[in-house]
Amino acid sequence: MEAINSLSAHLKRRLVDLSEAKREGRKIVGYTPGGYLPEELVLAAGAIPLCLIRGGEHSAVEAAGAHICRWMDTFCRAQIGYSTAGDDPYYTILDLLAIPITDNHIRAISDIVDYATDIEVFPFGVPHKKEKAALTYYLHGITRLKEKLEQLTGVEITESKLREAVYVCNRERELLREISLMRKSQPVPINSKDFVALNHGSFLGDKMVVVETLESLYEELKGQAALPRQGPRILLTGSTLAQGDSKVQDIIEEVGGVVVIEEFAEGIRPYWENVKPDGDLMAELANTYFMSRVPPAWFRPGRERLDFLIKLAKDFDVAGVIWYQLMYRESYKMESYYFPNILKEETGLPMLTTESDYDASEVGPLRTRIETFIETIRR
Amino acid sequence: MARYYDELLKLCGFEVEEINGEGSRIEKAFQKLEIGPEDMEPAESWVRQHHDVELVGVRKLLAAWLKELIDLVLAKDEGKRVIYFGFPAITRPGTLIASASEEIYCACPDTILCHTMGQIFNKLTPILEAGEQNGLPPGHALCSLWQIKVGALAKGIIPAPDMAMASSYYCDMGSKADDLLHEIYGTPIVYIDGSMDSAWGEYPDYSPQRVEFLGAELNRLFDEVKEIVGVEITSEAWEKAAPSMRQYYGGIGQLTELMKADPVPLYGAETSLATILGAACTGRGISEGSKAITILIEEVQRRVDEGVGVVEKGAPRVMVFVGNFSDASIMRMIENTGLAVPQTYFTVPPPKAKARTSYATVGEIMAENEMRGGLYHSSYGAAKRTEMATEYSKLDGIIFNYPFNCRPAAQMSHTLKKWVEENTGIPALSLENDLYDSRSYSAAALRTRVETFAEMLRARKASASV
Repeated sequence: MEAINSLSAHLKRRLVDLSEAKREGRKIVGYTPGGYLPEELVLAAGAIPLCLIRGGEHSAVEAAGAHICRWMDTFCRAQIGYSTAGDDPYYTILDLLAIPITDNHIRAISDIVDYATDIEVFPFGVPHKKEKAALTYYLHGITRLKEKLEQLTGVEITESKLREAVYVCNRERELLREISLMRKSQPVPINSKDFVALNHGSFLGDKMVVVETLESLYEELKGQAALPRQGPRILLTGSTLAQGDSKVQDIIEEVGGVVVIEEFAEGIRPYWENVKPDGDLMAELANTYFMSRVPPAWFRPGRERLDFLIKLAKDFDVAGVIWYQLMYRESYKMESYYFPNILKEETGLPMLTTESDYDASEVGPLRTRIETFIETIRR
Repeated sequence: MARYYDELLKLCGFEVEEINGEGSRIEKAFQKLEIGPEDMEPAESWVRQHHDVELVGVRKLLAAWLKELIDLVLAKDEGKRVIYFGFPAITRPGTLIASASEEIYCACPDTILCHTMGQIFNKLTPILEAGEQNGLPPGHALCSLWQIKVGALAKGIIPAPDMAMASSYYCDMGSKADDLLHEIYGTPIVYIDGSMDSAWGEYPDYSPQRVEFLGAELNRLFDEVKEIVGVEITSEAWEKAAPSMRQYYGGIGQLTELMKADPVPLYGAETSLATILGAACTGRGISEGSKAITILIEEVQRRVDEGVGVVEKGAPRVMVFVGNFSDASIMRMIENTGLAVPQTYFTVPPPKAKARTSYATVGEIMAENEMRGGLYHSSYGAAKRTEMATEYSKLDGIIFNYPFNCRPAAQMSHTLKKWVEENTGIPALSLENDLYDSRSYSAAALRTRVETFAEMLRARKASASV
């Protein structure tokens, strides 16, 4: 697809562009994925948001061993590995690393990067429940972030700048949503790897370039014949789908399955809700980013997300669910125990639980399990 | 006629009248716990090996734990409404709730099982295995304390609770495991939320919003208790709870002061028996435990006066972060290498409030107190409190025996050691461990590391004195 190729070309020269922007005085604000950092604030401050979504490499996980024991989430350890090694350009280029503290795994990144590197870290809290006091706390956190960004950039985040940023980010979400919803059709017009690549690109690329790419892709897909895929339709869900961690998607494709919808806390930009562009914009950001979005498994209770998965499974007419979690992310592990029964009761669908520590040796057993699962549901 | 459990219970500090008076309850509880005559001799031997049963206070502490166990196991049968909380937890809410009604049994069941089925009967494995088979499989570093709770529920050893309080302000695992309880037993869960989002270096400061948020959550807990179990938490409950808590914590304070003596007068496992009671119990564990601590203080004072210690005078002094809940042999192994353990993290007195705070609600007052405590503040808070301990007890070393399957603790595996060494000049040993499941470690492997550390501390101390 032409649009995807052009985004890919943009991303290839992204670091060069970022270095140039930095030389010109623009600030680069990194953040950890999870969907709780309103990029609108960074854009309104004239800075460049950069979500740190790289993963999938065992070497980074190993490098983290100098700073933390192995019993923490794989993706989070990888971030510790990249950041403390001091040679990852996406980390060394940062002027600030903002970290929405969602759970203890993400908190580990914050503490260790703050203690062991020269990167300036700005943590702010994401409560684990949806209620008034929690919303107030989250709003307080993003208000502190706004002040920090103003101080970092010397730019006042005015109402009009924020509104402008909200429009751009809303457009990005809308387009991702529209493109994703096209996959309700049988067969799908875009495969999962391409859709995830768009998502990952949206975390790293220039916002305007990403929006233009999505616009053009949307038009392209509307006029395009659907892909000739007929395999079992799969809902792929889990904690983190990092850039560079495509082994499960690859295997599913290779053995004849078709991922038609993904639901991940980290690695997929939440695109289901837009920010209302009027009224108190900070309150609207808090509403959309905290209250309205489907929460990850580390929210308690976790039923809202499980119900959402059931809805997705029905809406996208899937034949099975593949649950892909990273090692030691206990909230996902716990849910993977009781969700299959709920799923079975509500939809009759089967679920396969898979797990990874970004280790190459996992691929063989993963392939066997996924292939068996796809074969089973194909019948 | 002598009963099969008489000798063990007497060893564990029960008076004969108490055994006679509670005979039927003891038998009923032991039946549920699958404890029989064949378990008595191994238990007696286990207790004698790892506890200083020469001290009446220690025996009485074991009795307090056992009485709490019996009350826990029989709570539902005896018509109580049962409320559980997790470990670690802000403990005062549990005490307040329990004080509000005689009809409520409120405790941290897994911790009670560790100190009894682990430390006394050495019979936790079947419970752990049941936990592994019911939602918390092995091999994923899931919390073994929770495996014990889930396993004990699955085996019918402890009653399914009418409500559970989740320490959502600290632990992700416990809250999700409470979700599991809700899915299996339909238990209403009250999640007490918070956010540990203070930056590295911020302790003892914190944003007032942290206190307001956690305080609001604690206040809401009391509303939910009323809604779910129909008990109102009034100021009378606070007044009723206060004297026993003052007595208990006052006793812990005195004991901690006595442990500053050289030679150290008491094994670390015994101080842990006393300090963890407050983190797990609200009923007889506290009332009987306080009496036991009073006796123990007198005995320990005598040892201090006579210069009697459990390790040599001048032995290097280390803080062990926390004693193993289910296995007292690890603390004893550390002491057998010649190290004195006057301190755990939980006995370091927290810093006093800088000034009178303006917080007015019960929840906010509790939340402010916890911010000062450090552990729920941040990893840096825990490191800073460790630094304070080095001054308080004139420590020569730190053993950070973090439980590998506890994320808030395990995430400090390297940083706490490094930071403490950099900032105090005192050596620290990061010792990966499981505080609840003795199948997860090899005592011999731990000993090798501790022995080497002890040698180094001795050499360091000797060279410093030259």
